[in-house]
Amino acid sequence: MPRSSEPDGIGYWAGVSPAIVLCIWELAGRLGWTNPILLPNPTQIVAALAALVASGGILTPLVHTVGLFVVGFTLAAVIGTGIGIAMATSRRLYGLLEPLVEMLRPIPKPALVPVLFLFLGIGKATMIALVVLAGMFPVLISTYQGVRGLDPVLLETARTFQISRSRMIASIILPASLPMILAGMRVALGLGLVLVILAEMLAAQEGIGFRILDLERSFQIRDMFAWIVVLVLLGAAMMKVFDVAERNLVPWRGRS
Amino acid sequence: MRRSLLSIGLAMIWLLAVPVSRTQAADLEKIRVSIIPIGDVAPLFAAIQNGYFRELGLEIDTTPSAGGAAGIPGLVGGSFDIAYGNVVSALLAAQQGLDVKVIAAGTNVTDPKLDATGIFVKSDGGIKSGKDLEGKSIGVNTRNNVIWLYARAWVKATGGDPERVTFKEVPFPQMEDALRQQRVDAAFMVPPFSAVAEQKGGLSKVGSPYSDIQPGVDVGQYITTGKVLAAKPEAVRKFVTGLRKGVEWYNANLTNEALLTLISGYTKADVALLKLVPVPTAPLRTDVSQVRKTMDMMIDSKLLPAPLDLDKIIDSQAL
Amino acid sequence: MSAVDRLNVSDRERSEPRSSREWLGGRASGVLLIVALLSLWELSSRLGWVVSAYWPPVSQILAAAFAQLMGGEILLSLAATMRRAAIGYAAASAAGIVLGIVLARSRLLRCGLLPLIEIVRPMPTPAIIPPLILFLGVDDALKIFIVALASFFPIFTTTYAGVAAVDDTLIQTARTFRTSWARTLYAVVLPAVVPAIAAGLRTATGLCIVVAVLSEMIAGSSGIGYYLIETQYAMRPDLMYAAVLYLALTGYALNRVFLAIEMRAIPWMGKS
Repeated sequence: MPRSSEPDGIGYWAGVSPAIVLCIWELAGRLGWTNPILLPNPTQIVAALAALVASGGILTPLVHTVGLFVVGFTLAAVIGTGIGIAMATSRRLYGLLEPLVEMLRPIPKPALVPVLFLFLGIGKATMIALVVLAGMFPVLISTYQGVRGLDPVLLETARTFQISRSRMIASIILPASLPMILAGMRVALGLGLVLVILAEMLAAQEGIGFRILDLERSFQIRDMFAWIVVLVLLGAAMMKVFDVAERNLVPWRGRS
Repeated sequence: MRRSLLSIGLAMIWLLAVPVSRTQAADLEKIRVSIIPIGDVAPLFAAIQNGYFRELGLEIDTTPSAGGAAGIPGLVGGSFDIAYGNVVSALLAAQQGLDVKVIAAGTNVTDPKLDATGIFVKSDGGIKSGKDLEGKSIGVNTRNNVIWLYARAWVKATGGDPERVTFKEVPFPQMEDALRQQRVDAAFMVPPFSAVAEQKGGLSKVGSPYSDIQPGVDVGQYITTGKVLAAKPEAVRKFVTGLRKGVEWYNANLTNEALLTLISGYTKADVALLKLVPVPTAPLRTDVSQVRKTMDMMIDSKLLPAPLDLDKIIDSQAL
Repeated sequence: MSAVDRLNVSDRERSEPRSSREWLGGRASGVLLIVALLSLWELSSRLGWVVSAYWPPVSQILAAAFAQLMGGEILLSLAATMRRAAIGYAAASAAGIVLGIVLARSRLLRCGLLPLIEIVRPMPTPAIIPPLILFLGVDDALKIFIVALASFFPIFTTTYAGVAAVDDTLIQTARTFRTSWARTLYAVVLPAVVPAIAAGLRTATGLCIVVAVLSEMIAGSSGIGYYLIETQYAMRPDLMYAAVLYLALTGYALNRVFLAIEMRAIPWMGKS
């Protein structure tokens, strides 16, 4: 794609419209058009955010959320890819697992929370399980489709060299289906972030999700918005990291 | 939009079909009330079922919020005219500058024998007091709220330091399992969960924070906003009147099977389950001195930085 | 047999199996696995391996599911959820497709709107529910808005990427023939991006139900999400699990319907 260096053709213009929106928001607050308790001005939110950073209170929840996400997402990616390849390369495993996958996949994961509470308790295990359950299915499906969609000639060629099954997976199937695996992981990234926050709201004693809910319940709206800003930055950073990783892993694949 | 069109359509059909009672029904003013589907709001439902509100020209539209999480935020957001909520939430909202007003009493705990809430532990765990819980954990439904506040007070009152006890958030339905699986060392449980857990055995109640710490505590209130109060003072006054009649009926029928059927109707809980739970009397009026005690405890636990002007928060008609 | 053979075998039977016996043939072990797991569940509850008020035997759940169906109440809850999901989904589809096409073709609008969209995009849905309750209340407006917001992004993203990827020579060719802007859009751009849009729509189909349920769990008073919470508080886990079952069935059916429509409507949609 010719425009890949600057895909959107926006460049420095990117800051203009958010700045305008923030100005209107600030102005509306100052002129008393909005309820300052329910919708604090941007400057107030920034001040709350600055206080949060200055006090160091930002660190523990941030570490909690990032840690939970990294562990959950990594597990989801590994499990999803593993089962996806297994199902795509072995008919027996496909027959064994496909009905189960099809049964579990459409269940909205938040509905499983009570079951997880029962078996894993209210804490880390439940939260990680929630993220893994949400993230693994997109990776699994995408991996499966990726492997199944591989060029038969490629596999045929590999077969003539009589290489072992594990080598075949490691050096041919995995790299060739990597773009699809990564596409699934991109979906899982968004879902994982959603579930991390949800899990923290339901089962954590710490973390950004917990903070947001806790602050809402005590009506400390300004600080709640500060945390939401942190969350947006965190989400954007995660997506950026993923973009960079994808570009390095699959350089031949343009933007998607 | 579609719903309003539909309701207009239905209303027109109904108007054509039942012209006789038309005036009576058309005058009903609709009041939206957020409730928690538990025994606490039985007087409200009694008043609805017995037609007390209709006699006054009100139609009560109840919206359940499990656990009450959406009550006061929804009230502030304008979804409700009135919300049933707990005293601590109301004071927290007021402290942040939100214009909340307590207009009627909801529940209080006067008789320790009828207080089904409590701190539960495993019978064989050897925990008897707050002192024993230092370095251990107590399950509460939410931190920084009413259950948490009284659990802390109970720990302190029984010789423990609340700062050295970990309070873990566990939803009420999961409390019993969390305790039995020893994911918490103690749990603040409320009915019907407490009654079911007690009946199964293995757990013992070591304290009743409400009735131990503050006999007569006003736990629940009906809350509105200053805006609603200014916009429809008459409707709010009628609501309080109707609710009081409901409270009177409720208090006169505590042992009546009809009450359990009523509660079962809006909680989905079996009548057999409800029979396990003691039915406490309901208050007619809010006791400001009790609210003040709660407020002092909140200051003590650093939930509030300074006392609030309760006269501004508790509307005179609640008294 | 090497992995390649297996691959080739499975490749050949990619086309949908014709009879249910054929379907079952390959999956007999999988169906057995599910039966075994469910039996384990039944036994663990009946024999007291797992002691909890929230672990009813499977048979009790199935009985509850049947009773729910007879009572009709579950269908009302399901309908309430689906209505919210559908309205939000429709709004998100319209906004996502239109904005996706327009922003990909107009640099001015792209400069104005894309940064705003990119700011909102990484915000996890559960995080915005608490502040939104304060503005929109807890009524349908809130839930539909959240559904629409969550469904918007996959639809917008795939549409935008799809349009941006349309071969410029195609458009140039259309232009040399002095085709009108509207006709170019209809005859050149749209057919090329429909598969991309469809992919976004499919992602959003699953998402809209999840988000509707989620919003009902947090701020609900009706619908399946609320029902799941309500039955927990009423100590009726059998009803709760039965509702999860219906939810899963609905999600599965929707995905199937979507695939069927996709296959008929966009036959040229190949491997993505």
